[in-house]
Amino acid sequence: MKIRIDQQEIDVNPGETILEAARQNGINIPTLCYHEAFGGQGMCRMCMVEVKTAHSTNLVASCTYPINEVIEVHTSTPVIEKARRTIIALLYRTAPQSEFMKKLYQEYKCVENQLEINENERCILCRLCVRACEEIGSSAISAILRGTEKRISTPFDEASTVCIGCAACANICPTGAIELSQTPAGRTIWNRTFAVVTCQRCGQAFATREQLDYIAQHTGIKGSESKLCDDCRKKNLAAQIEQYAQ
Amino acid sequence: MAADSRPIKQKTFTNILDQYPAEKRYILAMMQDVQGEYKYLPREGMQMIAAYVDVPLSRVYSMATFYKAFSLVPKGRINFKVCDGTACHIKGSNIIIDQVYQYLGIRPGETTPDGEFSLETVNCLGACALAPAVVANEKVHPKVTSSGIIDIIKSYGGQINATSN
Repeated sequence: MKIRIDQQEIDVNPGETILEAARQNGINIPTLCYHEAFGGQGMCRMCMVEVKTAHSTNLVASCTYPINEVIEVHTSTPVIEKARRTIIALLYRTAPQSEFMKKLYQEYKCVENQLEINENERCILCRLCVRACEEIGSSAISAILRGTEKRISTPFDEASTVCIGCAACANICPTGAIELSQTPAGRTIWNRTFAVVTCQRCGQAFATREQLDYIAQHTGIKGSESKLCDDCRKKNLAAQIEQYAQ
Repeated sequence: MAADSRPIKQKTFTNILDQYPAEKRYILAMMQDVQGEYKYLPREGMQMIAAYVDVPLSRVYSMATFYKAFSLVPKGRINFKVCDGTACHIKGSNIIIDQVYQYLGIRPGETTPDGEFSLETVNCLGACALAPAVVANEKVHPKVTSSGIIDIIKSYGGQINATSN
């Protein structure tokens, strides 16, 4: 199927989202809550584009809009730019402590709004952390409460028994909202402190005991291979390949 | 927060859950039944539902905190529902809420330490002609005045301590 995105004719497979089609063809649409690993969530609305069908013109979230008919897409019009500025301004108000959101706010030259500031917040509730935790299989965190009180936390705000301390949530967070402290003594995340395991070769603290146990249980990777950090494991693998090549 | 003094009747949880197939779509109904039985949603109830339906506890907790109809803290022996709908609000429901705070020391969503009384506000009881209305457990008290609420508290055995603030 052929569609047009910003005057460019593009071949797409039916069912593909506008965002995927655009990115594959080098057309950039800004996103916040999107990650290639999970697909679109439609949470942040940053990826709004204008879609012209035979009948109407609408603003849609490109990350969740499947292409099922011949359409014409515009990724940057005054209407979209305005919508995007509004979204960023609102999100910045929600999470004013986030450097990332502040930069975005300045970059897009957003206009002041009168909304109440959420003083100490860095979270924009994009749910990437929740998705990451779910994909890994722990599901230790979720969005709790509702409305203005909504936030991400563990059940009862307590140290979670199912958390493995992998910190995937903190790593995927676009705004740096998840508290993570790592010292030689341990890694603290979501009110729980985990003992850290150091790499046998370089001595870098790279994982928690629970994390390694979990990996061993689900992938069968254990023994000496699991005692190396990512970098050292790569070096190890490269050395092995070199050996075979000779 | 009031002490969780009432024993958790393990059997009843099982009885409630057994009425439903172990499917995600029944979580809400299960939670409602558990709350119907215990007048609040105990932690153990959520844990059992999560285990029974095989969903993460975080998901069940997320649902339980999303809906205002669920209370995660135990309700008192007498639960006051003060209507704060438009008609009742205009007729001074906020005064009733203030009075309850003054005499029982609880705000909406809270329970007295002895577990006797709890207070919540509801958006509309549909009894606007009786505004402002207060429901104590199942009994409706119509056209409640600021002194009337004191009599109501007394009638349920509440100790009115004039010096409390």
